[in-house]
Amino acid sequence: MLHDAPQFLVALEQSALASAIRQSSWAYMTANVGHILALMVFVSAVVVMDARLLGAFAAAPPASVVRPARRLAALGLLLMAATGSMLFAAEATHVAGNPVFQVKAALIVLGILNALLVGRLLREALDEAHAFEPLPTAAKACAMLSLTIWFATAACGRLIAYF
Amino acid sequence: MHKKLALIGLGLAVPTAVLAHHGWGGYDAAHPITVAGPIETLKYENPHALITVKAPDKVWTVTLAPTSRMQSRGAPPEFVAVGKVVSAYGYASTVDKDEMRAERITIDGKTVELR
Repeated sequence: MLHDAPQFLVALEQSALASAIRQSSWAYMTANVGHILALMVFVSAVVVMDARLLGAFAAAPPASVVRPARRLAALGLLLMAATGSMLFAAEATHVAGNPVFQVKAALIVLGILNALLVGRLLREALDEAHAFEPLPTAAKACAMLSLTIWFATAACGRLIAYF
Repeated sequence: MHKKLALIGLGLAVPTAVLAHHGWGGYDAAHPITVAGPIETLKYENPHALITVKAPDKVWTVTLAPTSRMQSRGAPPEFVAVGKVVSAYGYASTVDKDEMRAERITIDGKTVELR
């Protein structure tokens, strides 16, 4: 279990915090439930944001939808990271070596990079676009990429338990 | 842009650099086994309680259930205490040859379902 895992993961798993999470009757369960609730917040915001970039809710100026949805998504992501870190710490050596978790971690990096890219590339286009005005193709491509990455991330999250 | 590409590369490379190790592998449900013997160690922890059992053939790691379920099914830490003799019915891991997941355990004549 602990053998052949990198030292920092062993240290994390054996830390007082990780032990407390495992030994508590409610901490792990709470983190697990919280992770799912945070996912609901995150993914609903992402879907609304990406749907607007793809042309849905056309009557609303893009920025009026995308900006608040983006803030909500950031909050959801923060909550996911907090609860996910608890789940990870409790079983760090096992989870880090899980191939599906490794794919998930890479997808999260890609998803965040994509989101940052959208923020940078589309800021002006978004500010200038009016209701019913089509957005640049790049916006649609980023939105499709975002949806693909985050749905794949969620699928990987659930699949960790099966590999 | 180059910086971003480098970051993407790093993101892909770092996780795979971590030594591959199984997590919750598959269990051979087609061939149930019974592991019996004294309990040598107990980790009454989440996400799953674990015991090691000194069976005649070898020491098995037996994966039980989340602690809240153990409690509600009548298997508090005292029930699975070190030294007690357990009979665990369940499935051997297809990944770790010394690990099995218990469907039910019997201790002191009392059987507790874990699924």
